[in-house]
Amino acid sequence: MASSTTITQQKKPERSLSPWQIARKKFLRNKLAMASTIFIIIVTVISLLAPFLAPYLSPNPDITKVNIGSMNIQPNGEHILGTDKSGRDVLTRLFYGGRVSLLVGFSATLMVITLGTVVGSIAGFFGGAVDSILMRFTDFVLNFPFLVFVIVLNTVLYGIVDGLWVLIMVIGVLSWGGVARLVRSKVLAEKENEYILAALSIGCSPWKVIRKHLLPNVMSTIIVQGTLIFASMIVVESALSYLGFGVPQTTPSWGNMLSSANEPDVLQGKPWIWMPPALVITLTILSINFIGEGLKDALNPKSLR
Amino acid sequence: MTTRDFIQERIDSLESREVLLDVQNLKTYYPVTGGFFKRVVGNVKAVDDVSFTIRRGETLGLVGESGCGKSTTGRTILRLLKPTGGKILFEGKDITKVSGSKLQKARRDFQMVFQDPYASLNPMQMVGDIIAEPILNYEKRNKQELEQEIKSLLTRVGLPEEAYYKYAHEFSGGQRQRIGIARALALNPKLIVADEPVSALDVSVQSQVLNLLKDLQKEFDLTYLFIAHDLSVVKHMSDRIGVMYLGNLVELASNRDLYREPLHPYTQALISAIPEPNTAIKKERIVLQGDVPSPQNPPSGCPFHTRCPMAMDICSKEKPPLKEVRPGHHVACLLY
Ligand SMILES: Nc1ncnc2c1ncn2[C@@H]1O[C@H](COP(=O)(O)OP(=O)(O)OP(=O)(O)O)[C@@H](O)[C@H]1O
Ligand code: SF4
Ligand SMILES: [Mg+2]
Repeated sequence: MASSTTITQQKKPERSLSPWQIARKKFLRNKLAMASTIFIIIVTVISLLAPFLAPYLSPNPDITKVNIGSMNIQPNGEHILGTDKSGRDVLTRLFYGGRVSLLVGFSATLMVITLGTVVGSIAGFFGGAVDSILMRFTDFVLNFPFLVFVIVLNTVLYGIVDGLWVLIMVIGVLSWGGVARLVRSKVLAEKENEYILAALSIGCSPWKVIRKHLLPNVMSTIIVQGTLIFASMIVVESALSYLGFGVPQTTPSWGNMLSSANEPDVLQGKPWIWMPPALVITLTILSINFIGEGLKDALNPKSLR
Repeated sequence: MTTRDFIQERIDSLESREVLLDVQNLKTYYPVTGGFFKRVVGNVKAVDDVSFTIRRGETLGLVGESGCGKSTTGRTILRLLKPTGGKILFEGKDITKVSGSKLQKARRDFQMVFQDPYASLNPMQMVGDIIAEPILNYEKRNKQELEQEIKSLLTRVGLPEEAYYKYAHEFSGGQRQRIGIARALALNPKLIVADEPVSALDVSVQSQVLNLLKDLQKEFDLTYLFIAHDLSVVKHMSDRIGVMYLGNLVELASNRDLYREPLHPYTQALISAIPEPNTAIKKERIVLQGDVPSPQNPPSGCPFHTRCPMAMDICSKEKPPLKEVRPGHHVACLLY
């Protein structure tokens, strides 16, 4: 009998997708953003595993051990991307350079986003005198002569603190102003919604209101901004290193590798030395920006409401 | 029992009950800042002189045009805003100046239902969490028990249990307002301030939500401060009604007295403007001249004198206090 074979389905309570889950679904459907994400993941994994993947053990062989004969070798079977003017394997340096460039970009972004979010949300939520003081301070930081500070600090702290971290701290401490302003303006707009008043009236402390109600609702803006900052931080690292004020020359970074293009004969005659870092930097920045665009689409507040 | 007897009985039973909320000469100003250093250059006198009491189990309606300070009054009473002056006594305790964690503790006894069903629910929170949050702010609870409790609360306000797992954007305005009511109810409060809870809803849904509020009042012995700009909605809901104009309470009377015999010229104008369902009765409509003055720069004397059809010379010089001119009927007008 038909009825006896009917399987009664146990009905589970139907959970709807949270706004975050909806955003994730949308993002996963975005091909360009997904391809970019995969590219960034590959670059990150290669950088992390550089010691195991690089064709040569160290990116900085002791200069005394360098065979004069191995300098400026064109790409060949032994050195897939050739060697640089100090006889160092370009592919090995590219892998290790990724570690440094991504570390600088990621750490500086994390600092900038954290500081900017804390300052911006407190200023926006509490308003009044707190807001005035914090925003004056933000203006001051925003107008600080960035490059001068980097150069001076790098000189002063040279040898005391690892140069890499000096750079990260300096970028982090001086670049959060824009995020603070952005978060503040978002918080000010979001605060007008009655759910914030409701949260206070049901007994949430001001801190809980910021943490549980305001921040989740401005988080999408912060995340999108974070990707853009990440991309620009990689540019900043490269630019500073190119100019010689960034990561110490002894540490390979994409920016440092690029700086060899300073020399006209390298720029014109030995493209294998500077082309790989230039290409990787460009692709990385493009990918991050595509990811940012994808996140912006997926996190569109209209789709979350 | 006729409706009339029923109303009389309710009035009598309310009169024997104790005063839950006592508001005395409440003032709430919003500072106006200007210039580079955000100096205070003036005040918006949103609430300038409001006094009333509400007894336990009663509904006090508060009416007035947009911008007259109704929401500010409601929010100040719940201490979501700092009063500039006056006193708020809740169950005899002065809550005018409490702050910090003391205020947070006091808040479980008074809750609010908000006007905008789209902005008053956090879009990132599951409905179940929205309603559980007030309880979890005050008590540690077993998760499963709490979930059951909230599901029965959802059923009580007319929503399916499955609403627990959904997000606000999946609901209509009326349903959202029910979620907001459930949130306000979760702590079993003594007083609920309902700030125009139906003005954003379709007319067809309005009466359902109003009736829900009435049923809940009976069931949980709730006290309401019911804010509206629509006189017919207030009439339907309230035992007594206060009329506000430009931050001032100008008349306070029982529902029946206010509609039968409005004393303040402003109230008379408001009531004359209600469309009469019975077209046989033709009322003379009082049309007010001019605009409502700015609360940043209110007129001297009686706040209504710039538009009052009965204004006298003295009205621009002397501010009339709220006076009880008949038993239970208060009015702030120099005519009485
Ligand atoms: N945050 C604020 N800052 C400055 N002025 C405000 C603020 N909120 C309200 N006001 C002003 O205070 C006055 C009273 O506002 P309130 O919201 O209490 O009026 P309302 O009677 O609730 O009006 P509505 O019917 O439009 O809700 C208005 O003139 C308004 O412009
Ligand atoms: S006091 Fe004067 S101006 Fe004010 S309402 Fe009465 S009559 Fe009108
Ligand atoms: Mg209002």
